[in-house]
Amino acid sequence: MENGNKMRGVNTPITKIRRQVFTEIAKMAYQDKELSYIEQLPYKIIPGEVAMYRDDIFKERAIVGERLRLAMGLPLRPVGEHQPLANGIEDCAIPEKFYEPPLINVIPFACNACPETTVMVTDNCRGCLAHPCMSVCPVKAISMVDGKSHIDEEKCIRCGRCVEVCPYTAIVKYDRPCASACGVDAIESDNLGRAKINHDKCVSCGQCLVSCPFAAIADKSQIFQLITSIKQGDEVIAAIAPAFVGQFGPMATPEKVFEGIKQLGFKDVYEVAIGADLGAVEEAHHFAHKVATGEQQFLATSCCPSWSVMAKTWFPEVAHCVSDALTPMVATARVIKKEHPNAKVVFIGPCAAKKLEAQRRSVKSDVDFVITFEELMGMFVAKDIEFGDMEVTQSVDQATGDGRGYACSGGVADAIVANINSLYPDLEVKVDHAEGLKDCRKMMTLAKAGKRNGYLLEGMACPGGCVAGAGTILPIKKAQATVKLFKDKSQKHRALESDYVEDKEP
Amino acid sequence: MKKITVEVCACNRCIMMGAMDIMESVESLKKLKTQLRLNTQVELIMDKKICGDLGDEVSPVVSINGDMMTRANTQSVMEQIIKIQRK
Repeated sequence: MENGNKMRGVNTPITKIRRQVFTEIAKMAYQDKELSYIEQLPYKIIPGEVAMYRDDIFKERAIVGERLRLAMGLPLRPVGEHQPLANGIEDCAIPEKFYEPPLINVIPFACNACPETTVMVTDNCRGCLAHPCMSVCPVKAISMVDGKSHIDEEKCIRCGRCVEVCPYTAIVKYDRPCASACGVDAIESDNLGRAKINHDKCVSCGQCLVSCPFAAIADKSQIFQLITSIKQGDEVIAAIAPAFVGQFGPMATPEKVFEGIKQLGFKDVYEVAIGADLGAVEEAHHFAHKVATGEQQFLATSCCPSWSVMAKTWFPEVAHCVSDALTPMVATARVIKKEHPNAKVVFIGPCAAKKLEAQRRSVKSDVDFVITFEELMGMFVAKDIEFGDMEVTQSVDQATGDGRGYACSGGVADAIVANINSLYPDLEVKVDHAEGLKDCRKMMTLAKAGKRNGYLLEGMACPGGCVAGAGTILPIKKAQATVKLFKDKSQKHRALESDYVEDKEP
Repeated sequence: MKKITVEVCACNRCIMMGAMDIMESVESLKKLKTQLRLNTQVELIMDKKICGDLGDEVSPVVSINGDMMTRANTQSVMEQIIKIQRK
């Protein structure tokens, strides 16, 4: 595991602050507060006179202030200029998407300016006689100083050989957590050594923002604009991603989550697994007609936008092998718009990258807003919606087990293979899958070299799949188990059985 | 064998503030049975709102053998369980 991902699934004060920010912004929108009320929120989230998280309460509030701006969809303020927190807020208080790039932002003064890749000798060094660290160093960077190993920073090439051979685990190598979590090397440094995102490389997977131990990275939200749209009476319909089950606590059954969303003011709720069903069948046909016939080298799945953007950008020679099937989000949005032509569609999912996908020219008219599970939870809390108090009679039964399985790594390929087996029983399907963009890159390197010809390749940017997305609430393993239960309980198992799928013949 | 009842509030605010992670951390204590010399049965309940009218700022709320803990976190809850079992 990369050191950047080690914090995943551990609830920290950062998680709490992030969620408090969403709740307060949602409350502000639901309660029709004056926009200038935002100036008071840092004091509400960080109360009192004593710093709770950092050495300075003023800095804590300033950072929360920037997070509040991002949650409104506003840009960060320049550090060297005086600007009130509410600067520009009138522009974004609208009932439609407000988005100014970039989506993912480093709050510069929150960044700890962690050193880039570092190899260091810790106090655990015993200055042993063998000192294998010295023997394996290819640049003679290690010497004994005062009876302990000493690394000459100038000479060290950070290969990590000394780390591997030390019998006392006394030498450590670490990366900045944000850079380590980034699978596309998009984290660079500014002139003060602080993290800076190269937006030409960034694919917005959001792994850096959940891996920064100093809460310095955040993405922009659309909850304020969404609630404004709901409140003005728009027909707003939710499309909820398959990873939603279990995310909102043990009392939040899928049926209650649907009911809760309606109580927030949404007119209806659709499972995005409907679109996953459509995609699974389309990709099954595509594999049989193009890959199995040798016309195309391999088929790479397309549902994870960070993975597909990375695959197309880093490996342009084989970009045509990435499926052009609509992603489950877009396919479901089109189903909704067909059935409700005047509706605004809100994708609710685990993922930061979907916010960017919804900005694409070809998708913009299909998906009006994108929010995460964490942001939805903030809305539930802001509206005092409790699942324990709810009584529901309607069951959730729109999609099949195949579509619901898309939420976990391996689930997309499983669904496509199952449908290939149903449609084309004589076909043999070879599968490879990778999770985490670094491993996805390795898989694509092999594919580009012709070592994955005839394969179905599944890529997921988040290690664990969508259930591990940056906007999730439930610990990853538990989420995978919950998704499996829901998948297994589906009335229909094969995507081919979905009422929405038309192309059911080979 | 001693028995400790841990009840975690299942209201939305407590869940948002980390109630499910507290559940997870209590469950994880089973894996440390040897190191902690655990000879206690921990009953874990999370099926209703227990924070009542304690207000917005107290989440997450956990009750251990009937004693309420406000602003609970994984660390404080695990520590309390270990304290009780060692008594």
